[in-house]
Amino acid sequence: MIEFNNVSKVYKEVKALDDVSFTVEPGSVTGFLGPNGAGKSTAMRILTGLSRPTSGSATVLGRPYGQLDRPAYRVGTLLDAGAQHPGRTGREILTLGAIVLGLPRSRVDDILDLVGLTARQGRQTVGGYSLGMRQRLGLGHALLGRPEALVLDEPANGLDPHGIQWMRGLLRDLAGSGCSVLLSSHLLHEVEQVADRIVMIGRGRVLAQGTVGELSGGRGLEQAFLDLTAHSGRSTA
Amino acid sequence: MTHPTIPTPFHRLLRAETRKLFDTRSGKIMTAVLIALTLASIVGRGLTSGPRLDVLATTAGIGYGTLLPVLGILSVTGEWSHRTVLTTFALEPRRRRVLLAKCLPPLITAVVASLFAVLVAVPVTAVVADVQDVPAVWDADPLALLGWAVTGVLVVAQGLALGMLLLNAPAAIVICLAAPVLWSAVGRSGPTGSFLAEWFDLGATTGPLMDGALTGGDATRLAVSVLLCIVLPMAAGVLRVVRKEVR
Repeated sequence: MIEFNNVSKVYKEVKALDDVSFTVEPGSVTGFLGPNGAGKSTAMRILTGLSRPTSGSATVLGRPYGQLDRPAYRVGTLLDAGAQHPGRTGREILTLGAIVLGLPRSRVDDILDLVGLTARQGRQTVGGYSLGMRQRLGLGHALLGRPEALVLDEPANGLDPHGIQWMRGLLRDLAGSGCSVLLSSHLLHEVEQVADRIVMIGRGRVLAQGTVGELSGGRGLEQAFLDLTAHSGRSTA
Repeated sequence: MTHPTIPTPFHRLLRAETRKLFDTRSGKIMTAVLIALTLASIVGRGLTSGPRLDVLATTAGIGYGTLLPVLGILSVTGEWSHRTVLTTFALEPRRRRVLLAKCLPPLITAVVASLFAVLVAVPVTAVVADVQDVPAVWDADPLALLGWAVTGVLVVAQGLALGMLLLNAPAAIVICLAAPVLWSAVGRSGPTGSFLAEWFDLGATTGPLMDGALTGGDATRLAVSVLLCIVLPMAAGVLRVVRKEVR
């Protein structure tokens, strides 16, 4: 269970988040949609304790992230697949996570396997990875501790169609086993196919939320998105 | 609600942070350079200055004084430049524990490097004595060697403090490496300058420590400079990292 309760975040002059409230139920995938600069990443960083809300609170599994014991066992996070040391191998990055979590090295092999990275790719440094490979690695890192909740910022970015299909299946399976998944994206069709519910934000405000069917209302999710965000994107303002 | 109440054991954080110091290409190169420099400087000094254990061992310190603080700076700033703090602080949100786990390995490395230098200096002293056919001088002052090793740790601690305070590797490295030059300029700038350098320049206050002849006054000056150059910037740096918003 992931909950945002009236979360606001003000950076000097800019209101990055304005009274954001929504819930991600266990066993469901919630798609977090919005134009660039709408506040998706800010919300996710507040949720994972990397940034503080100006007011309101965000909790995972009933507690603020920073107050969870061994949070990575309970919440898997992928906040930026590009944020990796280019000189480290994929395997080493997973190994570092496994050390902190106290997991056996066999878990690293299992994860490489799960996210479709070969043993050879695992031995390569991340500097040579494509964005799609980094996304797979980042998702694998998030899954190391078999978490009950997943927070994924633009995980489908850079994945090829096979990769997107694979991730869709993986996230559906995880939700099917009771995981609460929050994923942000601007790839509307992708979200439409994997998410149970959608939260749309623009200029830091929740513009609409509901099931995919409720939001698209016959006109399709893409049109709904364009209509709702027409006047709310910082980039289009 | 049922929550496990066991925090991540500190030794795991320490293991991970120690690995991070050496598991990248740059980390490996740095380690190789450190080892090569130790060997080369000790052998070189042995050939030029003769077989004196204390002289040979502490010669490695010249390279350490530059490389080890840089290692410390990189260990506390690197995650911000590569933005891997996103992962590190997600795994352990209690940032003070992460920082402690990050600061210990470079400090321990400084101790290990000093021990390594002594270990290398022993056979080199023996071989040089044999080759040059002169008697080896083994009577190193243990207090001076200890003081030298402690100085190495202090210099790394200063690097760590600067690194955490500035969170910018190039700036911290430049300040760290330029400090001796700046202090010597300050020291020669007049009575006030020489007073400041006498009390606050870690390079000057650690002198008596390295000679193994620390008097009460020396110890006070050392403590004052440690407070100013290490403790205060480190406290401010820790506070900065703990409060910093990760973007």
